[in-house]
Amino acid sequence: MERVIGIDLGTTNSCVAILENGSPTVIPNRGGYKTTPSMVAITEAGKRLVGHIAKRQAITNAENTVYAAKRLIGRKWNSPQVKNAVATSSYRIVQGPHTDVRIVLRDKDYSVSEVSAMVLQEMKVIAEDYLGETVSKAVITVPAYFNDNQRQATKDAGEIAGLDVIRIINEPTAAALSYGFGKNYEKTIAVYDFGGGTFDISILEIGANGVFKVVATAGDTFLGGEDVDARIIDWLVQGFKEEHGIDLRQDRMALQRLKDAAEKAKCELSSVRETEVNLPFIISSGRNEALHLQRTIDRKTIEDLSADLIERTIDICRQTLADARLEKEDIEEAILVGGMTRMPKIQQAVADFFEREPCKGVHPDESVALGAGIQGSALIDDKQDMVLLDVTPHALGIMTQGGYFEELIPQNTTVPTHRTKIFTTSRENQTAVKIVVMQGESERAEDNELLGEFILTGLRRAQKGAIEIEVTFEINADGIVSVHAKDLETAKEQSIEVTASSGLTRDEIKDMIDGAKDYMVERRSTEELEATKQEAERLIGEIERLFPQVEQIVAASDFGRDAIEKARAILGKARQAIAKREVVAIKAEVEGLSRTHRMFKGVVAKTH
Amino acid sequence: MPEPPNRKARAKSAPPTQENRDSDRPTLSPPFDVEAFARATAAAGAAPAGEGPPTVRAEVRAEQVTLTNEVELEIARAKSKRRTTPPRRANTPTALSMANSRVPSATNVPAARPAPAVGAVRSPAAPPPPAATPPAADAEPRSMSPSSIEAAVLGAIGSPAPEITERTIEDPIAEMRTRFSLGDYSGALEVAELLLAEDPADAEVIDCADKCRTVLEGMYAARLGSLEQVPAVIVQRTQLRWLSIDHRAGFVLSLIDGSSSLEMILDVSGMPRLDAMRILVELIAQRIVALR
Repeated sequence: MERVIGIDLGTTNSCVAILENGSPTVIPNRGGYKTTPSMVAITEAGKRLVGHIAKRQAITNAENTVYAAKRLIGRKWNSPQVKNAVATSSYRIVQGPHTDVRIVLRDKDYSVSEVSAMVLQEMKVIAEDYLGETVSKAVITVPAYFNDNQRQATKDAGEIAGLDVIRIINEPTAAALSYGFGKNYEKTIAVYDFGGGTFDISILEIGANGVFKVVATAGDTFLGGEDVDARIIDWLVQGFKEEHGIDLRQDRMALQRLKDAAEKAKCELSSVRETEVNLPFIISSGRNEALHLQRTIDRKTIEDLSADLIERTIDICRQTLADARLEKEDIEEAILVGGMTRMPKIQQAVADFFEREPCKGVHPDESVALGAGIQGSALIDDKQDMVLLDVTPHALGIMTQGGYFEELIPQNTTVPTHRTKIFTTSRENQTAVKIVVMQGESERAEDNELLGEFILTGLRRAQKGAIEIEVTFEINADGIVSVHAKDLETAKEQSIEVTASSGLTRDEIKDMIDGAKDYMVERRSTEELEATKQEAERLIGEIERLFPQVEQIVAASDFGRDAIEKARAILGKARQAIAKREVVAIKAEVEGLSRTHRMFKGVVAKTH
Repeated sequence: MPEPPNRKARAKSAPPTQENRDSDRPTLSPPFDVEAFARATAAAGAAPAGEGPPTVRAEVRAEQVTLTNEVELEIARAKSKRRTTPPRRANTPTALSMANSRVPSATNVPAARPAPAVGAVRSPAAPPPPAATPPAADAEPRSMSPSSIEAAVLGAIGSPAPEITERTIEDPIAEMRTRFSLGDYSGALEVAELLLAEDPADAEVIDCADKCRTVLEGMYAARLGSLEQVPAVIVQRTQLRWLSIDHRAGFVLSLIDGSSSLEMILDVSGMPRLDAMRILVELIAQRIVALR
């Protein structure tokens, strides 16, 4: 049976999991880390870096390193989030050809889906290396507040990465799945997700038969662990400036080291009371010497530095409960997700707010991916009785007179579904009505997302309110939304089909898929070459080490001189093949090298 | 490598022909104590123009290590480049000015082609040049570091390199060509980069810079070996701060975690590959880092 991987495509870190022998498991990357930074960079030499390696040069190569692409995915160029990102990002964001967003790296434009695809491709490779087989199906998680366009853009990213995205699920739902896996819970829970770049709070109802309903969700897409890192950096920079009169922010290399050290100190202070930040040779003094930074930071300091950030998350929790008309007592469990929730002060703040100890039974970094892995397995395994229903992430409706939004299909409605409502004309002698299809939860239409519009014409001239128009919304099993408007008097009808758009055309996606495939072929062949080369170099080293001994033995006997010459020739040919970087030739020489190595070892062993 | 003493004696006694002058130049000691002379002239302030060096001493200096390895020359050069002590503005010849005298950059050399406005390029941190003092041919203020051969001379005499703040190059193209032809690829690249800052489209300069980079990269790559090797810091953490390295080397050192390969470190360093390779070679040469 084909495997389905679950991917938590995070703003700052991504994680991949599978269900293995009935147990959800996170797959570590080559470095042994269970999460991989969602960062992509292009080096000066044009080489693509993804993950930890991209993060390590994120400041020194800031213009060509993309982080937090998730904040941009599926968004329109003129959205406030994109404007904010344009103002705050170190990399260049430009307008795409379809009012979408593009990122410029080394003078080449990339769509946001393309950049996210690079991260997804890395996660695919991690899974394939671990499983030893090709992986093509995936479940990917997205924030609960993602609209259809953002979900579609995430799906496109999966497709570009060579993955068939069989389901997109909400992150809090995935965390809840991981929490409730095999336990048959029926309760209302809060998922407090404080990650590296974003904060989300979601209230879910876990019902019978595996129904997970997101009752309310809110958050801040520009609030995360990175803000805490920034506070620590400020503290370190200020201290250094007071001591030496030098602003470390002026030097990118110093700033890169500070960023790494701040993050490390933050993580350490979750388990120890104080830690030392030691950065020798951080900057030049300008007097032919390098200065060192050495400071001790304790937990109290980091708590003071981040107190307002923690308070902000609690304010959002308070507001979310109020919006959902829920009381704290209605929440039966608070689940902590995201690396920042390791911080004792945050755990305390959550406990104080919800008036109950938060559940620590789920892994803060892994639970979302594990939930996706569980869901992926359930989707292809008929024996598993768990069902996660597809629901509409946002309410659907039309704009009405006065700029209001009239909801037809509420948020979290299970699909497929259809709803109908009757509307009337709003003006005297009105002969046409404009149906503006929108998505969102706000009562004011302008705060919601425009999905499409059409005009129903040919209405009879009559007093306002006299003509009745029936509007029907329908969502089929594939998530395609159709809207019909019918004049009930004349039965005249108009309709529109709304499909989510990531901002990319099919041709563009196809080109990107081809590009991603080419990259993988090149990457795999480079890896093969490096592995073969290393093996050949290892054997050459071993043979060279034994050569003097073998030569001595042969010199003392009448035999074996030919073998010495042959060995020399093999070494020469192998070196030539390595120099030419021809994998087939090196592979051919490895065989001869292995034989020679065995023979040399045998000769030496016999003599001793 | 130390030079054989008999060769030195021959060089001292025989009048130099063009041939033996070229071959002997790297090992021929000056006929007086350059270090002492440099100190004396610096202490005495500006000496009258035209005053010559002291008379030849009876004995040449004790035999010293001569840098012949190009990589070592580059390291010596890089070390001298890091110096930031205030400039010595003596009009009398110093050790450096004598070493410079072989470089055809004197003001009277006719320009082979119109020189772009590269002259008087200053490093951003350097103080502005003195306005009214006309530079003497041999003691001109400079902005560029000494070439590898100069650095070798400086290294051999063991005296601290003077501050290099500003230099006027009359014909930078000729300077670049000369340095390239002398095998001073770092020096040639430096001039080429200054020229490219003025005119990024100059095909000859681009070509020369590319060639220099290729040669230098090849040199460092040969020294480093396979880039799949993993470097490790072999100096104890507590002793790191006592090392004599600059903040750029400190940054590269911070990237060495015992699991990242040389290739990875070059990728994440964020500095030009050539610079990162040079620093790695230096760290290995100084036995701060070992490869495994």
